[in-house]
Amino acid sequence: MADENAPQHQAPPSAPSAPASAPTGPAGGHAGGGSPGGPGGYSGGSGGMSGGPGGPRPQSGGGGRPGGPAKRGKRNFVRKKKVCRFCVDKVDYIDYKKAEILSPFIQDRGKILPRRMTGTCARHQRWLTVAIKRAQNIALLPFAAEL
Amino acid sequence: MEERQYDLIFICRPDTPEADVDKVITTLEHVAAEKGGKIEKTEKWGRKRMAYRVAKLREGFFVYMVVRSSHGEVVKELERRLKVSEPVIKYLTVRLDEELKRQEKLKRHRERRAARRPRKAAPAPMQPSSPAPSGEPTAATS
Repeated sequence: MADENAPQHQAPPSAPSAPASAPTGPAGGHAGGGSPGGPGGYSGGSGGMSGGPGGPRPQSGGGGRPGGPAKRGKRNFVRKKKVCRFCVDKVDYIDYKKAEILSPFIQDRGKILPRRMTGTCARHQRWLTVAIKRAQNIALLPFAAEL
Repeated sequence: MEERQYDLIFICRPDTPEADVDKVITTLEHVAAEKGGKIEKTEKWGRKRMAYRVAKLREGFFVYMVVRSSHGEVVKELERRLKVSEPVIKYLTVRLDEELKRQEKLKRHRERRAARRPRKAAPAPMQPSSPAPSGEPTAATS
């Protein structure tokens, strides 16, 4: 109730209060002021209510900013869902002898890429690391890039 | 003890004549046979570039073998031979039977699931078709 009233009149006051808590706050406050709808203003109001935890919240609202200002959505940027390549191919065993299969999963410097980069599922990543380490041991893959 | 399976890869100096590589392979086969194991498969991968320098060499002659044995003595002796043999610069033995067993299991599991899926799909068309004929006679009788 109080939040709904707040954005229309107190949008300017909430904006000054936000910069004290977080530098990205004012941008969220401006977006709220520009959009006639409640959501932007609501996030600004919440930021004004609780200083510390409210800080990140306008930021998440700010994530939706570039796409469309009036939209409620926080997730306007749609990240493409990564799928485990081994699950797609229904791989039951990752062969350490096939370096060309393993090489996309290591960095240039020879580090094993984490799951969050490649989208490999937990089980296949487990097998993959073992396979990569074996391949390293028999000089099929590098431990570290040579200079 | 059940039989175990190993992968054995060794790398020779790239400048060794092929006859010497064959000699190493035959001695390994003899050793394995002597200790009660068996070399099932031998593949010569040939000269390959190594990912890093080994013994100051950038290339090596790769040989891949599949060893089966029921006790570890075979592998121990094979590794000892590889260690002392002159042309060999690097070797790796990996026990694989458990992973292959796991692979088999997963494969069976997948096949069973694949076999079940059409069966699940089959009754679905059956059910609409079976009421339809039953519906026709009732319509005819009424």
